[in-house]
Amino acid sequence: MESRIAEHPILGVPEKGKKVTFTYNDTQVEGYEGEPIAAALKAAGLMVHRYTKKEHKPRGIFCAIGRCTDCVMVVDGKPNIRTCVTPLKEGMKVQTQYGVSDKPFAEQ
Amino acid sequence: MNQVNDRSRDIGAFVPAPDDDMIICRCEEITKGEIRKAVHDGMFTMTEIRRYLRTGMGLCQGQTCAKLVKGIVARELGISPAELEPATSRVPMRPIEMHIFANEAK
Amino acid sequence: MKRYDLIIVGAGPSGLSAAIEAARRGLNVVVFDENEKPGGQLFKQIHKFFGSKEHKAKIRGFVIGEQLLKEADEAGVEVVLNATVIGLYQDKEVVVRIGEAVHHYKGDAVIIATGASENMVTFDGWTLPGVIGAGAAQTMMNLHGVKPGNKVLMLGSGNVGLVVSFQLLQCGCEVVALVDAAPKVGGYGVHAAKVARTGVPFYLSHTIVKAEGEECVTGVTIAEVDSHFQFIPGTEKHFDVDTICLAVGLSPMSQLLKMAGCEMEDNPKRGGQVPICDEYGRTSLPGVFVAGDVSGIEEASSAMIEGRMAGIVAAEYLGYMEKEELDSNLVDLDKALDGLRQGMFAPKNRGKDIETTDEGIPVSKNLLKHGFVADDEIERFPGVTHAKGIHPVMECTQNIPCNPCQDACPKHCIRIGSNITALPAVEEGSECVGCGMCVASCSGQAIFLVDETYEEGYASITIPYEFLPLPEVGAKGNALGRDGKKVCDAEVISVKSIPAFDKTNLLTMKVPTEYAMKARFYKEA
Repeated sequence: MESRIAEHPILGVPEKGKKVTFTYNDTQVEGYEGEPIAAALKAAGLMVHRYTKKEHKPRGIFCAIGRCTDCVMVVDGKPNIRTCVTPLKEGMKVQTQYGVSDKPFAEQ
Repeated sequence: MNQVNDRSRDIGAFVPAPDDDMIICRCEEITKGEIRKAVHDGMFTMTEIRRYLRTGMGLCQGQTCAKLVKGIVARELGISPAELEPATSRVPMRPIEMHIFANEAK
Repeated sequence: MKRYDLIIVGAGPSGLSAAIEAARRGLNVVVFDENEKPGGQLFKQIHKFFGSKEHKAKIRGFVIGEQLLKEADEAGVEVVLNATVIGLYQDKEVVVRIGEAVHHYKGDAVIIATGASENMVTFDGWTLPGVIGAGAAQTMMNLHGVKPGNKVLMLGSGNVGLVVSFQLLQCGCEVVALVDAAPKVGGYGVHAAKVARTGVPFYLSHTIVKAEGEECVTGVTIAEVDSHFQFIPGTEKHFDVDTICLAVGLSPMSQLLKMAGCEMEDNPKRGGQVPICDEYGRTSLPGVFVAGDVSGIEEASSAMIEGRMAGIVAAEYLGYMEKEELDSNLVDLDKALDGLRQGMFAPKNRGKDIETTDEGIPVSKNLLKHGFVADDEIERFPGVTHAKGIHPVMECTQNIPCNPCQDACPKHCIRIGSNITALPAVEEGSECVGCGMCVASCSGQAIFLVDETYEEGYASITIPYEFLPLPEVGAKGNALGRDGKKVCDAEVISVKSIPAFDKTNLLTMKVPTEYAMKARFYKEA
């Protein structure tokens, strides 16, 4: 099901930046420039942002305003980037974070 | 002396509960059972719990769990959460990279 | 170190209001906010606000946000965004992270207006992706245009839970259930009623047992709880959902004040750790003031007044205003704030069981238990009357501070009086012309126009309608009752959308006369 809101009864048609492409792990994903990385991932139906360090459990968006830090990922090689408050740019490299690494636990 | 700091007070033995493996501090992955046990280990204040277990010392700095941890500790001590002093507030209030924290603007 | 007369932390409703008042009196004011955009949570509020004119009633939250920004700009307020205040020291030194560096500023006065953070509850699976805060849902749908989920369960029946549930419906999500461990709906009855009539079931005295799923939420189990909030075995109910939304209260974000050395207290009535302060936001530290949720959880309308108070109190503290002028300014603000703090939901009434309205009418038990007023309860309220021809029916059954309907009617059909928490009543002898201004102006969407003699055997009912797609005239569908269940067939006979209604469309449907007092929503068949 489409998760972008095409037209909202109160807010009208959402204003968006230009369409950009970024990579999520090894796949190409489209989003809009300037929106939070997390919004673009959610719109693409991608829920898991990271796996926790101790218990290797999945986490995703929780507060969406940069407070809870649950949505952190490895962005352009830097871990612990809060994707809910980091604006999307063309060509960004967004990777699932395992603990604090972009490498799955078996490879760490 | 308030009840919190009365270390001679008998709070009884640790009794395992079915929800002891519930994650409370999401960042540091600390469970309810660990927090309850810590109280029985003698950690009566929020600051002690925090130093002992690292609850609220992860990336989010206790934004989500502070109130939850306080509730659990208070219940274990048999007091109201309002009687527990919150942990010390310190700079930096938000996650910040060390190279920025050390970079004083001229 | 750069110096300002006044440094404000937080560009939400209270911080901006404080900045505007202070800057207008000549103070050199800067506002720091950690977010990319100013306005705090106002830009996520798409419903019309309650209150009266002075509280910006019937204006949508995000529009109020735009107005505040414009006023702040005109007053010469400097707003610095992406500026995270990471420390506050006792001598009013404010440490701010801006970009890649840490800056130090000195404020002769400081106002902390950092607002609140969301409370959370724990249950099995609460860390799974798909379990989100209600604020996260609002942020995703109202700021970023992305649906938080397709099938959502809402936990929490306070105003946040109710308002966000309605917003989820507005952006096309299905809300499968609204759940609260408390035995009674916590928020305004009118907010509950507009959700219930669309067909969302309410489960009071219920809470979440478990969020299901391996990688993300695929379902949820709830169960009934007893008076000690313990699960009652055998009462489990399962729902297929992809999202669980948590709206279980707010806590003041007061850490900066504690850091600075303000005297603090844990005050459950104010929502947690708050600075000890007087009614105008003066803390124990001279020159450090507070406004808005950080000093006690209320809502945006009162936060704006508290902000204005703190702004002028700071101006007087720094000598930009005489004591006499301050006192005369505060008289009006006191009155405005007092007006909002009346009625059943006033801070002083928190936790109290209220059995009757100020008018002496027994409150609707069904509303508190199921989210809607039962058919056999509704007629005891003064806004619900029968008349020949078209007339307003005001299903406003609780004393809440709100009166736009009284001003909206050009024919003065609706009377609330000077006490804005009074229930609206029909003014006898007045003549409704069916313009619909009352329907569109009601922030609670609780006013309907009913014509029981529309045509032989049929009544017309005009309802507020804020969903897409907008049904077309001639469409045939179902009329739903207050409980969200079908009561009869209905035909859409008019759909009005004029600028004065401010996006609240007026949909008029035709139903058999016997359903005139029962049909309250329209759904395509």
